[in-house]
Order: sequence, then structure tokens, then C-alpha cells
Amino acid sequence: MTKIAPAVDPVRSARPGGVGPARRRRWGRDAALPYLLIAPAAIVLLVILGYPMVRLAVLSFQKYDSRSLFTGESPFVLFDNYVDVLGDPEFWMVLWRTFAVTLLCVGLLMSIGFLIAQLLLRVSDWARLTLTICLVLVWAMPMVAAALIWQWLFQPQYGVANWLLTQLGIFGDLRAHDWFSNPVQALALITLLIVWKGLPFVVLTMYAALGQIPSSMYEAAGLDGASALATVRHITIPMMRPVLAILIVLEVIWSVNSFTPFWVLTQGGPSGQTTTLAVYSYTTAFSANDYGGGAAISMITVGLLAAFAVFYVRRQVKQVDVR
Amino acid sequence: MSGMGYMRRRRAVANTIAVAVAVVMVFPVYWMFNTAFKEPGSIMSQTPQFFPWPISVENFSRALDSSNFWVFFRNSLVVSIATVVLSMAVALGASFASARFSFIGRKVLLVVLVLVQMIPGSAMVIPLYLMLRQVGALDYLPGLVLTYLTFVLPFAIWTLRGFVEGIPVELEEAAMVDGLSRFGAFVRVVLPLLAPGVVATSIFAFINAWDDYLFAYVIMRSQENYTLPVWLVSFQTSEGVDYGAMIAASAIFSIPVLIFFLLVQRRLVAGMTSGAVKG
Repeated sequence: MTKIAPAVDPVRSARPGGVGPARRRRWGRDAALPYLLIAPAAIVLLVILGYPMVRLAVLSFQKYDSRSLFTGESPFVLFDNYVDVLGDPEFWMVLWRTFAVTLLCVGLLMSIGFLIAQLLLRVSDWARLTLTICLVLVWAMPMVAAALIWQWLFQPQYGVANWLLTQLGIFGDLRAHDWFSNPVQALALITLLIVWKGLPFVVLTMYAALGQIPSSMYEAAGLDGASALATVRHITIPMMRPVLAILIVLEVIWSVNSFTPFWVLTQGGPSGQTTTLAVYSYTTAFSANDYGGGAAISMITVGLLAAFAVFYVRRQVKQVDVR
Repeated sequence: MSGMGYMRRRRAVANTIAVAVAVVMVFPVYWMFNTAFKEPGSIMSQTPQFFPWPISVENFSRALDSSNFWVFFRNSLVVSIATVVLSMAVALGASFASARFSFIGRKVLLVVLVLVQMIPGSAMVIPLYLMLRQVGALDYLPGLVLTYLTFVLPFAIWTLRGFVEGIPVELEEAAMVDGLSRFGAFVRVVLPLLAPGVVATSIFAFINAWDDYLFAYVIMRSQENYTLPVWLVSFQTSEGVDYGAMIAASAIFSIPVLIFFLLVQRRLVAGMTSGAVKG
């Protein structure tokens, strides 16, 4: 059998801390203590998170422009910001673009991540260590540095990518090809960056989850003569379902919220054609000085993400129940 | 015997693929160091040079010499350390309470902690900008620290809570049976065991603050208040990019994070997955 080295200690995670509700209650004799311990965190969270979130929601119903910054006047305009945003064809282009990029990012991350995680189970220790170290290095790269390196890799005249692709000769002579002047190609490179940077987390999480699947299940499947594909379909994926579900939710949220790679590489250009929701709310608020509009776009984004997360998690839970 | 050979061949194929994947994945990181250590003259060459030979640190010295590098470095360091210290001071008690006590609002707190980590920074930055502007804290390092707490604090509480749960509660009970107060048990028993968790969480918190671009970009408007990421990106938009210096500066910026990550990666994976599965 393949040797499995779980990254998560199975004993510990099977018995998370060993503090059941009963134990917790016994510890809760001192009624005021937990509240005292929580209070500083609760107060700070309310001030720096709670208040801004309320402010964001209120702002999305106000007219707040560069003049408001100085006069402090921000009249309520009911749903005007939302009407403006939803009535703007630009918004629908941005929404569609965000959807496409997210779908691509998450699809690639999950499928490539799954394959590499499976690969990690099947290699010798030295190869696993090598690959893991490389993955951790990629994971550790700050996004700003990674985006700048991307720019250098794909620099038209001196970038190594254009040179390599020219040597391969599949796409013809690419020396002097400027990827970032073409919106589709720019989006492809940004997607590639997000996938590259996101893969280590996906792979290592999936690998840890794979290590949790009891090897007896695979042995039983082997005795029953199940094919490799059937084993993946009927054992691996169902056993990993909770982790896969959480990964998908997280990756969707992170892709939609991704700002730095877009901003550093294209600033949403050329002429707004690589703008996604996160960049759009930023430029609406800070470049066009329409803070109310920016807030409305943010609220719509958060609403869409929340709806997706709730819907998706519900469905996952239901599927588990039915089985 | 032939079965063994088959297995061995399969493993050799898997190892080869793994090495290929590792090379492809790490290539951009390698290319950063390769470019940074090249002689400035050989960076802009029609046929790229795959090894930095003769090796040179001139790109680094140009990056370090550029005006105000040490100011930006200091800004980044001060802001990140302040964020870590403040968030840990607040998070330690909250994480202990939410792992060990039952109290009204515990479930709500835990759910809120998970949810707020999913709010986009580009959404938070709008009200935070207006708030800081109102109190005159724009372009001011402590103001930036406050904005960092919005994402570091929930993360720190959540992660530390996982580490507290990993410590068997029996140890505290035994200490209390032996006559220690609850506070004494916490200081003498829990804290020493929690220390590695605190270190790991601090490092992640530090990295989160160190890496931030969006908040610093929006809030720090005057050049002397830039943090390293903001400066790095401004490098790129300034005319006639000096790629050698820019990549060397990126390397200097990344090296602390790369080292930290390698040090704590085991905990990182375990912590994140246990949090993810339980959450």
C-alpha cells in the first residue's frame, strides 16, 4: 500500500481538544470571567469591523462624492446608487468578467490541486519533501512581489516567458509580444498568477485530507476489484467532500475579492477591460470619487458571495444527509 | 517480483512528474533570485541567462540605495509589529475564553469570526478610509495599524483558539486540584504549552500585515509614509523601470516571509485544515 504520512495528527483531530459541552460548562462556574476575557476583543471588533460595515451599508444609500469629503454633506438618495450601478452596462460586463475569471480560477485550482495532491501520495519521501518545499515557497511569496515578477517574466522584449515560448515555436515569434495590451491575454496571465499562487494552499489542504482517509477503505475497494477511477469517485471524493466544499467556497470568495494582482498588472485596463468587481468598487470610489456608488458595488458583491456561500453549503449539507 | 518492478517503475514515474511540477512551480521564485543576483548589464539581454553568473549584488545595492528604502522598510516593520502585538494582546484572552468556557454569545462570536474573514478588503477600505479621514488619521501609521486589525484580529482569535483546544483541559484541572488558581493554571500550564501556537499565529499575523498592499496604498498618501509594497509597485509605474533593482527589492521584501513560512509550514497546514474542517 502507498505509505500515507498525514500532515494533520489523526489522534488530535479525531478528538479535537477533548472539551465537550459538559466539560465546558463545568469550567464555566466563574460566570463573569469569560465575558471579561472576550470584552476587549468584542469592543475592538465592534469599532473596527462592526461600525465600518454599518457605515458601508448606509453609505450605499447616500450620495457621497468629492464634495462630501469636505462639506460632510451626504444626502440620502434611497436606491439611486443601486439603480445607477445596475443600470450601467459596464457593471454587467464587470460582473460577467468576474464570474468568468472566478470560474476559471476555481476550476483550475481544484482540478490541478487534486491531481498534485494525489501525486504527493504516490511519490518517494525525498520527492514529496522537494515538492512540498517548492509549494511552500510559492505560498509564501507576497502577492505584490509575485505580481511584479509576473510582469518581469512576461516583459515583451526581455521577459523569459516570451523567449521560452519563441523557442518552443508553437506560437511563432513572440519576442516583443505585449501580453498586457490585450485584455483577454492580460486576464489569462492574471488568472495564471492567481492559480499559481493559490495552488499550494489547495494542494496541501487536500493532501492533509487525503491522509485522513483510512487505508482500509482503499484495501476493501481493491479487494472488490474497483478501478482507480471508481475508487476516486466512490471513496476519495465522498470522503473529502467537506474539505472540497470549504475549499471551493474559500477559493470563490478569494478570487472574487482579489485586488492586488489586477491592480499591479493592469490597473483594470486597457480601458477598463480587465476590471473585476473588487477593482470596480475601488475605482468607482477612489478614482471617480463616487463613494456611495463604490459602496453599492461592494454591497452587491458581498450579497452575491453570501448568497453563493449559503446556497452552496446548504446543498452540501443536504447531500450528506441524503446519503 | 515483476509486481515489485512494476511498483518501482510507477514510483519512478511519479517522482519524475513531481520533480517536473516542483520545477515549474518554483521557477518564478527562482527567476526572482536569478534576476536579482545577475550583473545589471546582463538582465536586459535578448537570450535570458539561466544562472546568475558572474554573481553580483549590485542590483541589491541599487535597491537599498534608492531614496528612502530604509524609511519604507521601517514603516513596514513598525506597522506589522504593532499589528501583531495589539492583535495578540486582544486575541489571547478571547481565544482562551471561546475554547474553554461556555457563555452566551459564544456560537455567535465564532460564526462572526469566520464570516468577517470573507468580507473583501476592497469593500472595507471605503468606510475605513472615510472614518480615518474624519478623525484626521489618514496618512498616519497608527491609522494603518487599525485597518490591519480588521483582518488580522479575527484570524488571530480563530487560529489561537485552535491551539488552545489542542491543549488537554485535564492538565489545567490537575493543576487546579494541586492548588493553583485558574489564573495560575493558565500562566503556569497553558501559556507554556501555548507558546509555539502564539509564535506561529504571530508570524502569520505579521506576514498578513507585511504583505498588505490595498490598505497601505489607499491610506498612506505621502511618499515618506509608504510601506514596502506600496513603494515596490510605485517602482514599476515610474518611468523607465529598473527591472534589476525592482526585482532585487522584491526579493528583499519576500525573503523574511519565505524564511518564516518554511519555519512554520507544518503548523500552518495543520492549523488551517483543522480550522477549516471544524469551521
